[in-house]
Amino acid sequence: MVNKRSSPWLPLFQERCVALVVWLAVGLVTTLFLWLVSEIVLQGIGVVSWEFILSAPQNAGRDGGIGPMLVATALIVGVCLGVSVPLGLGTAIVLAEYTNENRRLSQWVRRSLDVLAGVPSIVFGLFGHAFFCLFLGLGFSLLSGGMTLACMVLPLLIRSTEESLRAIPREYRLSAAALGLSRWTTVTRLLIPLALPGFAAGLILGVGRAMAETAALLFTSGYVDRFPTSLLDSGRALSVHIWDLAMNVPGGNSHAYASALVLVGLLFAINLTSSFIADQWKKHALT
Amino acid sequence: MLMRRTERSKRTILWLCVCGLISGMSIGCPVSLCAAEALTGKLVITGSSTMAPLVAEMGKRFESRHPAVRIDVQTGGSSRGIADIRFGLADIGMVSRSLHVHERDLYETPIAYDGVTIILHQTNPVHSLTNDQIVAIYTGAIRNWRAVGGKDAPITVLTKAEGRGTLELFLRYFGLKSREIRAHVVIGDNEQGVKTVAGNPHAIGYVSIGTAQYDAERGVAVKLLPIQGIAPTMENVRRGVFPLMRPLMLVTNGVPEGLPRRFIDFARSSEVTDLVLNQYFVPLSE
Repeated sequence: MVNKRSSPWLPLFQERCVALVVWLAVGLVTTLFLWLVSEIVLQGIGVVSWEFILSAPQNAGRDGGIGPMLVATALIVGVCLGVSVPLGLGTAIVLAEYTNENRRLSQWVRRSLDVLAGVPSIVFGLFGHAFFCLFLGLGFSLLSGGMTLACMVLPLLIRSTEESLRAIPREYRLSAAALGLSRWTTVTRLLIPLALPGFAAGLILGVGRAMAETAALLFTSGYVDRFPTSLLDSGRALSVHIWDLAMNVPGGNSHAYASALVLVGLLFAINLTSSFIADQWKKHALT
Repeated sequence: MLMRRTERSKRTILWLCVCGLISGMSIGCPVSLCAAEALTGKLVITGSSTMAPLVAEMGKRFESRHPAVRIDVQTGGSSRGIADIRFGLADIGMVSRSLHVHERDLYETPIAYDGVTIILHQTNPVHSLTNDQIVAIYTGAIRNWRAVGGKDAPITVLTKAEGRGTLELFLRYFGLKSREIRAHVVIGDNEQGVKTVAGNPHAIGYVSIGTAQYDAERGVAVKLLPIQGIAPTMENVRRGVFPLMRPLMLVTNGVPEGLPRRFIDFARSSEVTDLVLNQYFVPLSE
């Protein structure tokens, strides 16, 4: 009797099959990504120029450029980071270092953060509209938009930072305590630098989500496409502009693709620089 | 000494004031003469995403005529425009449909129209379709041109992508639901629809009349079909007799006065006809 399991070619066959499936999956994902990027590049590259990047839109966005949208997007993301980074870092430190993981309070905070992370962005948009624009009286403004995005980004940022703080071995904290370092020094000089990659990952995800956001911004920072002069002005984010060109402006497709190309380029650039900065920071802090 | 000095300085100040007043008036006079023209203030307009690009362009032109005015256009849909003027968040709402019964307390002013009609390839011998035939074609009951008096060829049905205003208008007029439509091609904007029909002799589609007429006049191989015997012309849309159309309206809470009134008048004037045509809508005036 021959045991099927022990037949010599079967494990090899299984191995091959698994390898094939894995490579197929990788190939599929890469193809999709390349297809998407090449589509945007091919359709948009003809329009993109310095003038396109710097000038104001004309004729409902079919002519002219995206200067005001870039300024508005930068200001919105700036407000978003200005609010969410200190809050996020602080909350993550409290959750990971100053509370017991199993305490009811921290469990509740964690659970509500996970729920918040899954809430659709349009809900944040309506909340931001009701709270920042109407209740706080900020109106359609870059400030309202940035703070709405901060609410959206915070859960991502807190959870990823907290996870990376927790991943640091307990021995590090014990050694620091044995050396007589205060808890604050341990956190700032040892744990935060070690948790930086996680923090940077959360930040990149957050900025990506913020820059790609359309629904939440339509209701908070608005649709006005002139150069913003203050944070209380309404300003059109790049993603809102792309949506408008693609959906509402007949003949706006080429400029929509070009704006999308600029947005994707910006995301790449931010991704690269933030991981580079995190690396540098980590090196400096630990030596 | 001290008294005198303060008195003198008081007198100087007085003189300065008088001089200032006079000079102010002398500079101010011509300005105040045209004060009826020198509008100031900020206007917030919200509503229909279909209308937002058009009204934003009108706003920019209005701002260039009256530099002290700021017009902020926001979007989010017709119903949002109505809600915002009710709450007093906006001065003017943009609504790209007729007002519902419970919205009749608001004051509406049309600034342009949007008409939609059926287009076929220019070589297609079919010259008219009844509403029933159109419904049968779009629901897949008729699949060959022979059934409606054309050549023996399968029909290629074009429809608009979900979320397009034109689709909603089309569905509502023919009493159809989106999922009942059996389409072969789903298109985005009007230009794409015209190009697709021009490239396929057996295709049928529906697009904005402005786009179709513009292209047909420039030699693109499409023809516009009448609906219920009414010719799909800009004039018929403007007069409101074409059945498949919708008004684009600026809505205010009560009869508009002051700045909103000036802007609405501007939006109806011939000064913005080119902007309306640029968005492929039908302007009020020639």
